[in-house]
Amino acid sequence: MRELARACWPEADDGDVPGVPGFVFSGFAPVVVAVAERCLRRRYGTGPVPAATRTAIVLVTASGDRASAEHVRATVEAGGRVGPLFFYQSVPNSVAGHIAARWGLRGPVICLSPTGDPYADGTAEATLLRDDGDADEVLLVLIEQAPDTSTEAVAVLLGEGARP
Amino acid sequence: MAEPPVAQLTGVYAVSALGRGADAQLAGVLAGAPAFGPVRRFDTTTRRVAVAATLPDVGTLADELAAAIDAACAAAGLTDVRRAGCALLLAVHGGPAPGAGPAPAALAGQLALRTGLSGPTRVYTSACVSASTAVADAAALIARGDLDRAVVAAGYLVEPDQFALFDAGRALADDGAVRPFSAGRRGLLLGDGVAAVVLESRAAARRRDGGPVATLVGWGRAGDAFHPCQPDPSGTGLAHAVRAALRRAGLSPQAVGYVNANATGTAQSDAAEAAALRQALDGYAAQVPVSSTKALHGHALEASGLLELVVTALALRHGELPVNAGWRGPDEACPLDVITDRPRRTTATHALTLNAAFGGANTALLVGAP
Repeated sequence: MRELARACWPEADDGDVPGVPGFVFSGFAPVVVAVAERCLRRRYGTGPVPAATRTAIVLVTASGDRASAEHVRATVEAGGRVGPLFFYQSVPNSVAGHIAARWGLRGPVICLSPTGDPYADGTAEATLLRDDGDADEVLLVLIEQAPDTSTEAVAVLLGEGARP
Repeated sequence: MAEPPVAQLTGVYAVSALGRGADAQLAGVLAGAPAFGPVRRFDTTTRRVAVAATLPDVGTLADELAAAIDAACAAAGLTDVRRAGCALLLAVHGGPAPGAGPAPAALAGQLALRTGLSGPTRVYTSACVSASTAVADAAALIARGDLDRAVVAAGYLVEPDQFALFDAGRALADDGAVRPFSAGRRGLLLGDGVAAVVLESRAAARRRDGGPVATLVGWGRAGDAFHPCQPDPSGTGLAHAVRAALRRAGLSPQAVGYVNANATGTAQSDAAEAAALRQALDGYAAQVPVSSTKALHGHALEASGLLELVVTALALRHGELPVNAGWRGPDEACPLDVITDRPRRTTATHALTLNAAFGGANTALLVGAP
């Protein structure tokens, strides 16, 4: 598949990542949204993607939303109650669904924990979905959240069209 | 005319609160007695709901998965030689591992080493469609000619973090029962689920004695593009997945003789699934027997799709369809032929098993009798 658009978070002059309504505490979802929307804007302007194009989301992350998961674990271990928003924040599908709803991405939603090179894992999944007929294009998002560094991500839109 | 792509399901194994092994799953879903009870595995005193379907004396997730993979391979007659080069597609919860367990990718590597599967590994963390997506991908890899065989394994054992999250999200049924498609349904309940299946190309399966448990004749994956965590009430995304599965198999809706539904017992999700079936099966939807076995073994999250595939395949081969427990009466938002009182005899040759997840992720697997 061809690379139709690419984006990173952060890029030059980026400040704090904008928040995303409904997602709290962690930078994971905001960074996924920021990098995905930047990539999609480079291909489709303000969106949505054309209705006839089935665009899958493949989100590749080993850490997942580490900050939220660790907060939940600490709260549970202390015998406390977790906030209800953490319920759907606990799986990476939810932020993928946020992007899919905003941009009209009607292809499969798939999250992988990489077992090798994350980009190779992601492109292999993207190609399989294309070859298998469930997706025309694939928005691939690679993100890792480390304990002591800011969250970074890359998004790549893969498809068969010409790169603008 | 070219044959539709298929993958043979040559070995299956599952563990749930219904018991250990494939036979225990079939017997449990046909007995129709829900396996829910008080949670004793961890403290639930600060939780709104304290009920789940847990298996006593369960091992660690890694040990249960390794045992399931070994058992499924043995059931398929895979010798050590045939396990070599075999792919492992694993479905588990992503991110930091609970307790002292390994992270997902490390777990996949350890399981491959323990069970002698030396082919490629891939780990799916797509919430409640993780396992069903892995099955679809395994079949697609076989159909594309990349693989002769793959093992798909999946596991979720009820643990305190997810339990607390589902409780906080008010997703758990506070009346202690799961009532899919029923009037008065009040939510889902979690359940243990560990399963493994061996999928093989027709040619690879033919080289050994013994027939397959079932055939995977179609599969589909599609998104709702609707909401981060609510299903599209129209069911359009799930309907696309069903249509894709039927198209791959070259079958019409009338070929479907049973649907093992995703239905979790949640008000809006079950109604959306009923709408999807009406869309995808045309006027035939109200005539197809439907049940959700989550009312018996609970919701096994990342493993649910594999546990329910095993149940669906075994029920189809056995010729008897499991009940949809917890039924209190029809809901006009779910006008389906729900199997409510006792298991139903069937001569059906094909069944769908459906799954849906947060993010608007949907899958459909179409199973053919052996």
